[in-house]
Amino acid sequence: MIQHIDVHAALQESGSGVFADLVTRPTGRFVRAYIERALASVPDALAVTRIDFTGVGCIDYSCADEIVAKLLRDRPAVLVLTGISDGHLEAIEPVLAGHGLAALIERRDGTLDVLGAAEAAAALLDELIARRLAARTPGGTFALTLA
Amino acid sequence: MTRLVEVPAQFDDRSFDQFAGACAEALQSGERLLFDAHAAEWASPYGLVGLLVAGQAARGAGGGERPLLTAPTHGDVLSYWTRAGFFREAAELFEIHGKVPKVKPAEESDVLLPVTAVRAVEDVHAVVSNIQQRASAILASELRLDPKATMGFAMALSEACQNIVEHAGTGGWVAVQAYHWRRKLARRVVVIAVADAGVGFRHSLEPTQSKRFGERWGDAAALEAALIQGVSRFRDPGRGQGLAGIRRYLVRWDGKIAIRSGTARIAIVPPWDDDVPLKDGLPAFPGAQVLIIIPEQGSSHR
Repeated sequence: MIQHIDVHAALQESGSGVFADLVTRPTGRFVRAYIERALASVPDALAVTRIDFTGVGCIDYSCADEIVAKLLRDRPAVLVLTGISDGHLEAIEPVLAGHGLAALIERRDGTLDVLGAAEAAAALLDELIARRLAARTPGGTFALTLA
Repeated sequence: MTRLVEVPAQFDDRSFDQFAGACAEALQSGERLLFDAHAAEWASPYGLVGLLVAGQAARGAGGGERPLLTAPTHGDVLSYWTRAGFFREAAELFEIHGKVPKVKPAEESDVLLPVTAVRAVEDVHAVVSNIQQRASAILASELRLDPKATMGFAMALSEACQNIVEHAGTGGWVAVQAYHWRRKLARRVVVIAVADAGVGFRHSLEPTQSKRFGERWGDAAALEAALIQGVSRFRDPGRGQGLAGIRRYLVRWDGKIAIRSGTARIAIVPPWDDDVPLKDGLPAFPGAQVLIIIPEQGSSHR
């Protein structure tokens, strides 16, 4: 099962809802709490969670740490980030690498890329394949096997 | 009695220590202060936000009585200070003498972000939102920054402002401007200036870091811990990302950061600049003042 989380919707519920940017730690904490509440309703703690950043403007390092890094640190979840722009990656990638963590990015065409610390990224991909959550496509890339 | 503090004619980060020295001496007198800017010829965003910090400190030291400020007499200077949003913020802090034009802060000009108060998280959101709307085109077309870099610029600005909200214990100000920097580079730059009159880096980090540094502990060691070692007063391992992220961004785009707090100043100095990496024993000044400079890309260095 894939749990889908709309980050922009979470941001709209925060006190900063008139803005589209994921900036400041309090905003990050609010959005993480929103995601954790959603994940708490999922029975399988090892399920795949697709976190959609579509509609989000800027993400700063503090927010990337509060949301992505802390979610990965606190839960043994597989995070698939979608709707990610190059600007978003500027914040998320160094934060993950700094913590020795990894996440997946799902491109518009469904292909997966790993993001973060090299060792953790390789281990994440191996785990996904072993659990048959992802498979190699005919084009040589990887994609989720679940819808 | 009133004690005079002269605002340097060319008021920027280079003349700031002279201003801070005069300020520190005057604040000790316990008298009402008069900041005299009538002969000001030019002020950088760093000078403008620094003057507001001085006003806030003088007001606090004077038991709430507002210090005096004589406005610049030169028409162009007065007009620029007004367009830069300085007087809008100064009106609360100073009893202003001199004719201040009733002009709105700049909507479209090299003033990418007028002097803006930062007191809470919502202010940081507003700053980031405004700068993306106003600065993206200038950063890409005039500074030749990759469009990717404009997002990084907003991130750096956000992190610099968050330092006020998270650590200063009081409000502060931010201003962003683009200009042609003849003195150093002969090319355009974008300058971010952030300043507060809060507790400063040493006080903020003292509970967790002073033992580690032992006798070396002071303003300079605190700045070194924060900017170079990425240390934060919070024990959470994810903390300290903000300044580290700003550093990474500036290394990529050949930029500069300098932070002054208390009696010290630290800088990450790019090849085009001749600033010193660390200065200690400067005149004491309240809070922290951050200067970030991003130069136009692709030009040859002087």
